[in-house]
Amino acid sequence: MSDSTPQRNVIALLPEACTSCMVCVRECPSWCISLESHVEAVSEEGARRPRTVNVLDEFTIDYGLCMYCGICIETCPFDALAWRDSFDYSSGDRQGLRQDAVDLSRWWPTGS
Amino acid sequence: MWRLASRPDVAVDVASAGLACCSLEVEAAGQRGLLVASETVPQAAAVTVLVVAGTVTTAVEPALVRLFDEHAQHGPVIIVSFGACATSGGPYWDAPTVRPGIEALFPGQEIASYVPGCPPRPEALVVELERLVDSRIPA
Ligand code: SF4
Ligand code: SF4
Ligand code: SF4
Repeated sequence: MSDSTPQRNVIALLPEACTSCMVCVRECPSWCISLESHVEAVSEEGARRPRTVNVLDEFTIDYGLCMYCGICIETCPFDALAWRDSFDYSSGDRQGLRQDAVDLSRWWPTGS
Repeated sequence: MWRLASRPDVAVDVASAGLACCSLEVEAAGQRGLLVASETVPQAAAVTVLVVAGTVTTAVEPALVRLFDEHAQHGPVIIVSFGACATSGGPYWDAPTVRPGIEALFPGQEIASYVPGCPPRPEALVVELERLVDSRIPA
């Protein structure tokens, strides 16, 4: 991670890259990530059995609780999480700091 | 007590309840000239923004409520929850001696805004104060 990487501002999620592996959820020291997924069977022509894939249903970071340690970003095996440099996302109510997959993915295209 | 450097004409006092590391960011905003120290006694018409910055232990709760009451005697008080600890207990949310957020700490008082961060940047504080001043306090 280079020094110019924006850190400790906001975490972006790339839902397409997330395999619902739960590594970030387990490693987060603040317990502020929650994730729901289900398993689907994918049948392919010629395959002897269907593949099973995890499909992400919900991914939430509670920014009212997050300690911005970056452990989720460092441990994600699929580079589905990354720092972005916006700090201006306060909320008038406590629940507004809980950002779901749609909120988190909106941060992805901006920044580095 | 502080005043907002970018809104010199608005009579708003910024009081920081500095309880832990987050309060250093309030100080940093002062060092960068975004907040200016004010020695003035609060006037009856002045609005005070109480910035709760840091970990609220159960031991410090009564003192924090008293601080709010003191300011409320002089006029309206807007409360800002600055950083994860004030908002939820932050990294210490599961400690029995830490209050898991100030949402219901001040009876009958709403929290005007929750600023995320552990700690939030000084700029985040100033942007929030400007927004509150512009939307809630007539110049
Ligand atoms: S930065 Fe740290 S505290 Fe925040 S979601 Fe990631 S692992 Fe959890
Ligand atoms: S570690 Fe990465 S891939 Fe695994 S659940 Fe978290 S974000 Fe998704
Ligand atoms: S939110 Fe983080 S930086 Fe702020 S007081 Fe708590 S531990 Fe310290």
